[in-house]
Amino acid sequence: MTTLFISDLHLSQDRHDTTELFIRFLQSIAPGAKALYILGDLFEVWLGDDMILPDYRTPIAALKKLSEKGTPVYVMYGNRDFLMQQGFEEVSGATIIHEPHILDLYGTRTLLLHGDTLCTDDVAYQKFRTMVRNPQWQSEMLAKSPQERLAMAKKLREISKTETAQKANDIMDVNQDAVEAVMREQHVWQLIHGHTHRPAEHTFELDGKTARRIVLADWYTSGSYLSCDQNGFQSTVLN
Amino acid sequence: MIRMQTSHGVIEIELETDKAPETSANFLQYVKDGFYDGTIFHRVIDGFMIQGGGLEPGMKEKQTRSPINNEANNGLKNERGTLAMARTQDPHSATAQFFINIADNKFLNHSSPTIDGWGYCVFGRVVKGMDIVDAIKGVATTTKGYHQDVPVDDVVIEKVEVID
Repeated sequence: MTTLFISDLHLSQDRHDTTELFIRFLQSIAPGAKALYILGDLFEVWLGDDMILPDYRTPIAALKKLSEKGTPVYVMYGNRDFLMQQGFEEVSGATIIHEPHILDLYGTRTLLLHGDTLCTDDVAYQKFRTMVRNPQWQSEMLAKSPQERLAMAKKLREISKTETAQKANDIMDVNQDAVEAVMREQHVWQLIHGHTHRPAEHTFELDGKTARRIVLADWYTSGSYLSCDQNGFQSTVLN
Repeated sequence: MIRMQTSHGVIEIELETDKAPETSANFLQYVKDGFYDGTIFHRVIDGFMIQGGGLEPGMKEKQTRSPINNEANNGLKNERGTLAMARTQDPHSATAQFFINIADNKFLNHSSPTIDGWGYCVFGRVVKGMDIVDAIKGVATTTKGYHQDVPVDDVVIEKVEVID
């Protein structure tokens, strides 16, 4: 049995191809897996469990079917869909997991993160993250009318787009000190995350042992998943 | 000397009152207030450390006093059997939670007065009952809500008191 990891699908009404690819993945590859982990940004935006966008209904139903068939699905918040709550769990059959999440992966203690907390050089983003992850900000947001929330999301997205365009490339990647700090704090030598859209497997020395950091690919141009079993990792591209 | 009665047995602790005066005094005050009685070791990582003293069974966080200054630059090392203060990313954020090192954790030592280098302040050591600490480090753990490495069955700090 294998354990599957994906992230950064950014499902939205503008990306029907990705949605179709994701549904095919859920129907043809994921069944039979020991578990499926979605490490953040499954959705481009999530405005509250009470206003699930029409385009999300089919993938959510496919997720539900997968878990009903016996493959548990675990979903971590990304920097876009952090307003998912119990209502999402109910319709999707998935379980929300919170970072830092520790997993015993075939005998290796492994840390799962979305990855945005590692980009500490992007000070403006970290400030934004602190704001939107504040429970008070979230409950105020969720108390707004659907129209207000849509307008708010649009505004935030536009700010993000402008800022991203202005940012130097390297501050958008992880900070190695932040990586080492969280790995030490969690006592792991293996880390899997997404967010940076820079798929790779990095190895480095951490306190005398070889540490491994696996970065998942996004689903912008093609789909991709990481599978793991007793023999190790394999990354596969979907077309 | 401090006597800590846990659900697994008794641990005796000597405080480093000279080298970590503020941290020791802070710990002693929590002891005298009975703060630790009935809290749990809620984060147990074999090969690393066991952490507790801030949550009650059911993962309820207790209200603490204000954070203290980090005295990790006192030269004491995070060696097996030492007690150190737990904290958030902010070096000077320790309140009540502490941990017992079950390995020599060099990377927790002070290296520079920066966010990444402050380290974790050692303020005491286990003088008796390291076998109890070793028993606790071996318990089965799970994930509970936002918390990782939580013992499946509560490991309770039943009573902490000052003895001669």
